[in-house]
Amino acid sequence: MIRRRRLLLGAQFVLSMLGAMSVSAIAHAQTGKVTVVTSFSKDVTTPIKTAFEKANPGATLDVQNRNTNAGVKYLQETKSNNQVDLFWASAPDAFEVLKSSQLLQAYKPKATGIPEKVGSYPINDPQGYYIGFAASGYGIMWNTRYMQAKKLPEPKEWDDLLKPVYFDHTAIAAPSRSGTTHLTVETILQGEGWEKGWRTLRLMAGNFRQITERSFGVPEGVNSGQFGLGIVIDFFGFSSEASGFPVKFAYPTVTTLVPANVAIVANAPNTAGAQAFVEFLLSPTGQEVLLEPGIRRLPVNPAVYDKPAAKGLPNPFKDKTLGARVKFDVDVSEKRTAAVDSLYDQTITFQHEALKAATKAVHDAEAKLAKKDNARGRALVKEARDLIAAMPVTEAEVASDAIAKAFTGSKQPGARQAELEQQWAAFAKTNYAKAKDKAEEAGKLAR
Amino acid sequence: MQASVLPRLRRAAGSATAGQIVAALAIAAFLLLFLVLPVAQVMIAAFQPRGGGGFTLVNFVDFFNTDLFMRSFWNSLYVSGMAVLVASVISLPLAYITARFEFRGALLIQTLGVIPLIMPPFVGAVSMQLLFGRNGTINLLLQDYFDITIPFMEGLNGVVLVQAIHYFPFILINLSTALANIDRSMEEAAQSLGSSGLRLFRRIVFPLAMPGYIAGAALVFIKVFDDLATPLLLNVKDMLAPQAYLRVTSIGIADPMGYVISVVLIVFSLLSMSVSSLALRGRDYATTQRGGGGLDRRRLSPVQAVLAYGIVVFILLLVLSPHIALTLLSFATVWSFSPLPDSFTLAHYGRVFAESAGYMKNTVLYAGLAAGIDIVLGIAIAYLVLRTKMIGRQWLDYGAMAALAVPGVVLGIGYLRSFYDITLPGGVPLATLWIVIVLALAVRRLPYALRACTAALQQVSVALEEAGENLGATKLRVIRRIVVPLMTGGILAGFVTSFATAAVELSATLMLVQSNADAPLTYGLYVFMQSPAGRGPGAALGIIAVILVAGCTLVSHLLIERHRRRSGATR
Amino acid sequence: MSLADSSLAKAIQPVSVTVDRVSLSYGNHAVLKDVSLQVQPGEFFAFLGPSGCGKTTLLRLIAGFAHAQDGRILIGERDVTDLRPWQRDVGLVFQNYALWPHMTVAQNVAFGLEERRLPSAEVRKRVGDMLDLVGLSALADRRPSQLSGGQQQRVALARTLAVRPRVLLLDEPLSNLDAKMRVQVRRELRDLQRSLGITAIFVTHDQEEANTVCDRIAVMNSGVVQQVATPMELFSRPANLFVANFLGTANILAGQVDGVVYRLAGGTVMPVPAGTQPGSKLVLRSQDILLVTGNSEPAAGGIRLSGQVRDREFLGNTMRYTVGTAAGDLQVDVLITVTAMPQSIGDAVELELTPQRALYLTH
Repeated sequence: MIRRRRLLLGAQFVLSMLGAMSVSAIAHAQTGKVTVVTSFSKDVTTPIKTAFEKANPGATLDVQNRNTNAGVKYLQETKSNNQVDLFWASAPDAFEVLKSSQLLQAYKPKATGIPEKVGSYPINDPQGYYIGFAASGYGIMWNTRYMQAKKLPEPKEWDDLLKPVYFDHTAIAAPSRSGTTHLTVETILQGEGWEKGWRTLRLMAGNFRQITERSFGVPEGVNSGQFGLGIVIDFFGFSSEASGFPVKFAYPTVTTLVPANVAIVANAPNTAGAQAFVEFLLSPTGQEVLLEPGIRRLPVNPAVYDKPAAKGLPNPFKDKTLGARVKFDVDVSEKRTAAVDSLYDQTITFQHEALKAATKAVHDAEAKLAKKDNARGRALVKEARDLIAAMPVTEAEVASDAIAKAFTGSKQPGARQAELEQQWAAFAKTNYAKAKDKAEEAGKLAR
Repeated sequence: MQASVLPRLRRAAGSATAGQIVAALAIAAFLLLFLVLPVAQVMIAAFQPRGGGGFTLVNFVDFFNTDLFMRSFWNSLYVSGMAVLVASVISLPLAYITARFEFRGALLIQTLGVIPLIMPPFVGAVSMQLLFGRNGTINLLLQDYFDITIPFMEGLNGVVLVQAIHYFPFILINLSTALANIDRSMEEAAQSLGSSGLRLFRRIVFPLAMPGYIAGAALVFIKVFDDLATPLLLNVKDMLAPQAYLRVTSIGIADPMGYVISVVLIVFSLLSMSVSSLALRGRDYATTQRGGGGLDRRRLSPVQAVLAYGIVVFILLLVLSPHIALTLLSFATVWSFSPLPDSFTLAHYGRVFAESAGYMKNTVLYAGLAAGIDIVLGIAIAYLVLRTKMIGRQWLDYGAMAALAVPGVVLGIGYLRSFYDITLPGGVPLATLWIVIVLALAVRRLPYALRACTAALQQVSVALEEAGENLGATKLRVIRRIVVPLMTGGILAGFVTSFATAAVELSATLMLVQSNADAPLTYGLYVFMQSPAGRGPGAALGIIAVILVAGCTLVSHLLIERHRRRSGATR
Repeated sequence: MSLADSSLAKAIQPVSVTVDRVSLSYGNHAVLKDVSLQVQPGEFFAFLGPSGCGKTTLLRLIAGFAHAQDGRILIGERDVTDLRPWQRDVGLVFQNYALWPHMTVAQNVAFGLEERRLPSAEVRKRVGDMLDLVGLSALADRRPSQLSGGQQQRVALARTLAVRPRVLLLDEPLSNLDAKMRVQVRRELRDLQRSLGITAIFVTHDQEEANTVCDRIAVMNSGVVQQVATPMELFSRPANLFVANFLGTANILAGQVDGVVYRLAGGTVMPVPAGTQPGSKLVLRSQDILLVTGNSEPAAGGIRLSGQVRDREFLGNTMRYTVGTAAGDLQVDVLITVTAMPQSIGDAVELELTPQRALYLTH
């Protein structure tokens, strides 16, 4: 009897809690709450939130911080009863996923003065499902104390990172874990071509210290001095410098620019509020906020670069070296996203130790050959490099439906993702082992 | 209707009382609703062919045919086993010294010993790297003075070290509780037969504390096997749990392997559980005949005292070093590639102070409620499993333990999938209420409380309960007035571990947090740790979390002590 | 358990146990106050007293599990005061037996031998012998939880004796057994101790146990040894009111010593022996008071007291009457004979006190 009464009391308590919570939720909705799921840090969201609420009296921006992947999953899982107005993040591929699962609604911004492209990359989604509001370029950041202690020269170009001197000092985020790294990888593949592009990626990765699973893991490690150098997106470099860490950031001559995007979620509870936020981001006021030291992203409105706060920021609309060299084909990229990421993970990330060992052997052999040349040795080193660079699949195969379907979960028969991955990994592992043997043999010849 | 169903049920359940059947059904319903169904909704992908629909085991064939996964499996096994070993080496001296000697530091060990469990996500990793990393304080100093470096944080052995430091409290807490429950005459009998010192400990004391040790060791083993955060922070990806996580959280890929690995993790964890319970089967560990008493506490001779304090201080320094580094980090302006920070500041605390009040309140509320739910369920399940012959009772235990192997993100997704469509009056989805976070935390941390409660109950002699029943008390009253008071130590251990670990949970929380106002500390921490400028404030928030949880732990210890003394005085 | 193993008996050299001016207190609570006594070699000795009298503490002190603030403990000639329990060579059988649940019966018994690093063949042999001795060879591989109380008790004894201790200590070893087992086991204990010749100390609160088993008894109360004597002496010449009261059915007759007589409440006087302490009380055991039937004359010096039967208890061959008198309620045992008619409750009766049997005791 007593127990039953307690149970009832408990139930009443829970119900009243539920009631109280739902009432407060309604109250928010009426004051123009705009809910945004974002991967951006507080440093970025807080100034923009403040400026937005100032420009739109009565509106409140409710920021839900989730990393990009969790944000996408969240929208997918809650679509039947969506409570989110906007998705706001860097990685364009995340938006592609949302778009293809019909979780976004198209919107054509009214803001003027924004060009079609930044660098070679289109600012907005052609169908208008997501809108670029800022751009960022990839570059190299390094820890000056580390570089001094280990007597490393400052790198200038991507190719510098292939040099033996940088062996085991650099970090990058895995492309499967970082939309922006993925774009960089894709840019290299499109710019240099499939085979040569992968050769560059492999040889560079063989020099890496670490391939992190979080984008922010790279600047974090460089800031604390765990890595000497990191391949990062520019605002990580800029904001790290601004926070006082002994780091420097530089764009190599050729860089890719990627836009940061915002999109209105399908069935948004407050579509009007969501549109107001998009317009604010693209307005001159909104664009200027991007210049703040904690944010440092490249505005997509060229006019903003004339402001004094933009001093020191590269202007991609004037400086044509920034991201303009490569013509970026969005369709090609989109179709093979998953396969490229998987190839990178299976042949590089998860085989990193073997790859590093082979690369080290090549460096050693070359150093010995430089002292005492040997033609047979040179040939062996070349073979070793070729083995490192060898690809289990051709560009055409990757573009084929058979492989694309393996990754998209289509019902059509064909190889499963796991089968392909095992093949690719086994291929790479064998080749790296062979490459190491050949390079070591070459080293012996040079003795 | 009740009258006709219950007797039949009772026969099926093997002579359980109606109350026990109701309790078992209620627990089963809870586990089904908040663990099995949500997780099954996600995991089902593991059993579906490409494109969904139907049933297949081909994905498991793929699992066993993939070198990476097999390598990951063996690596996980190696790391878990070694972590148990190292964690035992850390906890045994601490438990022994506190149980054996009149040691002033006992409360210190009890409280500080829990702190390693409270490793705030992200900042903990950063501070560990700053201390033990390749270019951390220790290696920079070693490099300067001896021109050597030690790869503390590298490869599988790095994972072993960090995991052992992180999770040894499971063994320490459960073992200390078990030692305190040993009837003193058991030890005295051996002493009067000429046994002493380490031999006495090895042959009599430790075997009698076995339920507690096994409970702790099994938790460490399974937890390490299923943990993804530490391997990832050390950049070790070829272990099972990180593989599952990386796959489940990769966007845009319809890959069943993440779920396949999760299923393997769950099955293997349950297997380890049953192996550990087999190790105790057929043995009687009930030594609480006169209500325990623990070991005879001796005064330390000066030499012993120096030795004991030396060992304790060394171990505490080792296991608390990440927190010491975290403290430094929270006061540091810039700390980069140098043994110590460049200079110190209070600014980070200033920055987080204003907003941490809400986070703190939420953390204590959520973790407290979750741990409360856990010990109630833990006692009930332990009782049903150990004291009744109900058919299928073991499955309640296994079901609850399975939560250990479910990646937080899978549980979070499962909750969204299961509870988001349930709309409350007012149009708010059920999944957006903070109570859902509490439930997720309770489910995730239930195994800790359950193991502690089971170990505690194993040490309570059935005769004590029978005495109560014999005097006319009902089963329920016997549980309340005799069993639970005798289990107090174990229950506290369970509460503390559940509470402390729930307070620093992030992966399921991150999926379920709906607004800043409902967010716990770890969420705030996560938000800070996404930008370079957030490192200091993040560390400050981490320290606040540690102090908060440690404070709550200390208070609950003191409360229990006081309660025990008061009830002991009237006994 | 009837026959002692001869090698065991030979191995045991009886020793004395000396407790010399031992005091022990926990905080302000004095548990033992200046206790001294000596147990003779080969003697079966009992510490007897109500619970809380300090008897178990004294036993634990001898075993080394408690530490006295003052005084010494000697086993034989050896001062063991500062020795650890495991250095004393003293066997202790616990009240709850303290068998280790994680070991089998044989493992329990073997433990002490293994601790002494005996060769394993010797360990096996001695375990076998000990189990034979206590009649449990068939249960060697059982776990303690599978044994009955009596069996557990024997295992505990076997475990303790296996190491051939110099002294055997028993802490209320019979208290967990049922009444029938208790009588049987105490007889066995006595036989075993005799055949081994080992010095043994037995703690109990049951005087019958102490009387039947032990050569000498130390009666204790409130941390003080009241009297050390044989059971007969204790019975016939208790040292004080406590001992008399604790050991037998002692009637304390209200009144006080008045010069050469003891003036009972109600006016009756009895002569007292010379040298009786002024504050003494008159004590008569229930057998030493006669219930007078018919009109018989009092025996020489006999003193009569009238009263009324308040209660009666049938004790087999005697009837114990509680008789209300001016000097308080007195218990009187009367042998039952076929001829005498028992008194009923409410009957007026005459009691006859024998001054020769009277004891004058102080507190």
